[in-house]
Amino acid sequence: MKRIKTIAAGAGALFWVAAGLLASYGATRLGLGSVTEPGAGFIFFWSGVILVFLSLIVFAESIRSPADTAREMGEMNWAKIALVLLSLLLYAFFLERLGFILTTFVLVTFLLGCIEDINWFRSLGVASAAALASYAIFELWLKIRLPKGFFGF
Amino acid sequence: MLESLTSLAYGFNIALQPQNLFYCFIGVTMGTLVGVLPGIGPTATIALLLPATFSLNPISAIIMLSGICYGAMYGGSTTSILLNIPGEASSVVTCFDGYQMARQGRAGAALGISAFASFIAGTFSIFGLILLAPTLANFALRFGPPEYFALMVMGLTVVAYLARKSMAKALMMAVVGILLGCIGLDPITATPRFTFGMLELADGIGIAPVVMGLFGIAEVLENLGVLRKTEVFAEKIKGLFPNREDWKRSIGPITRGSLLGFFLGLLPGVGAIVPQFLSYALEKKLSRRPERFGNGAIEGVASPEACNNAAVGGTFIPLLSLGIPSTAMTAILLGALMIYGLTPGPLLIKNSPDLFWGVIASMYIGNLMLLILNLPLIPLWVRVLKIPYSYLSCFIILFCLIGAYSLNNSTTDIYIAAIFSLIGLLMKKFQYEPAPLVLAFVLGPLLETALRRSLIQSDGSLLIFLQRPISAAFIVFSIVVLAAPLFSQIRLGRGLSEED
Repeated sequence: MKRIKTIAAGAGALFWVAAGLLASYGATRLGLGSVTEPGAGFIFFWSGVILVFLSLIVFAESIRSPADTAREMGEMNWAKIALVLLSLLLYAFFLERLGFILTTFVLVTFLLGCIEDINWFRSLGVASAAALASYAIFELWLKIRLPKGFFGF
Repeated sequence: MLESLTSLAYGFNIALQPQNLFYCFIGVTMGTLVGVLPGIGPTATIALLLPATFSLNPISAIIMLSGICYGAMYGGSTTSILLNIPGEASSVVTCFDGYQMARQGRAGAALGISAFASFIAGTFSIFGLILLAPTLANFALRFGPPEYFALMVMGLTVVAYLARKSMAKALMMAVVGILLGCIGLDPITATPRFTFGMLELADGIGIAPVVMGLFGIAEVLENLGVLRKTEVFAEKIKGLFPNREDWKRSIGPITRGSLLGFFLGLLPGVGAIVPQFLSYALEKKLSRRPERFGNGAIEGVASPEACNNAAVGGTFIPLLSLGIPSTAMTAILLGALMIYGLTPGPLLIKNSPDLFWGVIASMYIGNLMLLILNLPLIPLWVRVLKIPYSYLSCFIILFCLIGAYSLNNSTTDIYIAAIFSLIGLLMKKFQYEPAPLVLAFVLGPLLETALRRSLIQSDGSLLIFLQRPISAAFIVFSIVVLAAPLFSQIRLGRGLSEED
């Protein structure tokens, strides 16, 4: 377990090394300008360099004391997390196409029925109420514009 | 002083108008509700309600949004005391002794002292705001880009120093925040930077979806599949007024908590979370019987509750006098001020005295409303807390998605919120703290502009930051803060988290 933690924490730090290098590289393409007249990439370049430096310190820390650098990963329900994230991305994709009420109804039904294991009858009821109530509160009362979709609601 | 009092009277004249009283009431009630509910905080709520305020006059809108900020501090303690789950991150410490008091049958006294401590601290911080903000704004008229840059650097280093885990990680997150915050069009040349050809990113990544993802949705993801047993305190809550002995024990901690919270809240980036831990540790150190802490000591509730409320008042000072937000919450308020056509900064008080003094007076009225309303409403909050977390989590996700979408009417913001929820979850697992990231994200564009202007002004000489006394003082302080861990094994934040 200790070895897995070290690898995970080390990989995390190395990810930021790569991110720092990419930021600095991207910055050079934007143009660094000069010290007297800094260009569009100036802040990105130096932030990238500092990020690499700090990531290497964190990498060293993670090897020295892995227990301090990462918590248990096994206790997470990664399958459910992936499903929720996927449902959020699909929600964003369909929101303006199908409209707020329908998309919200489907999302809440899915979250309650599939993720929280609440029986389908109750999930459908709560999802309908949630979609309609939130539409009434935000669109009709607070006048926040919510997407209508091609069904017109 | 006399001038401030006259202005305050003018502020009360504005805040007591029926429309403003109504929005103040809505704000503090909403704030208390979101404070009570774990997972959805004042930042998410402000972002969610911001589009609904576009049709209001700016003063009423800011009065309502500020009400959410300090109302959440009152609500957070209710959940901490009755459930042992902090309703807000800034109410974590209240769990330690508040819940123990509830278990010993003293929930009423814990809730009562927490409400009175919040009120006293809130009042103290409002007077601090009245005295300090105009003075600081006058002083800040002398600030040029180097001073602003140095002040923001100081804020970021202090946040990293106060991090409860690795300081290197906190600094790393600050740098990542700057990188993310600067995405979008270059402020001077309008060159698109890291937008990958997406028009939606030209204005940069919005603070609302980032906060919704990092805090709201990530919290829900972390708790997926975890059976969260909510044991709400079922007995009838009685004795809400603390007795003489309770007051005797609490008055010192309330005073110290108020002072500590207010002055730490002034520093950009510190917010209300860290001061609360500090105040608890301070009381424990000062106590003749420190072993009582963690076992239902009323001082352990009074001091942190005073501290987090005073800190919120403190965070309004850099916002209103310098135009610098010190937390994600004040960052969204800053955005709101700009949307309403106001220019945050040293001239705000001079140019919009009705807004400044009206909001301050409303904060006092709001605190009074909270004191009067909060205690009788506790049974209602208890009922809200009985909603199973499986339902609550779905609603938190839904509100976060609406909040992310509604500010710009853009589905890209929902994608961003989803991505940041995963980032937030991984940050929790790898023990990276989100506070420095959010602060740097907010300050990033301001910091970049200040740095570039300073360099242009000085013809490329970095010595400009040391040649001007105010910026030199900020830079020297930052260096001391950065170097401190090299000379001392115990860092303030780390020491506290281990101890408590």
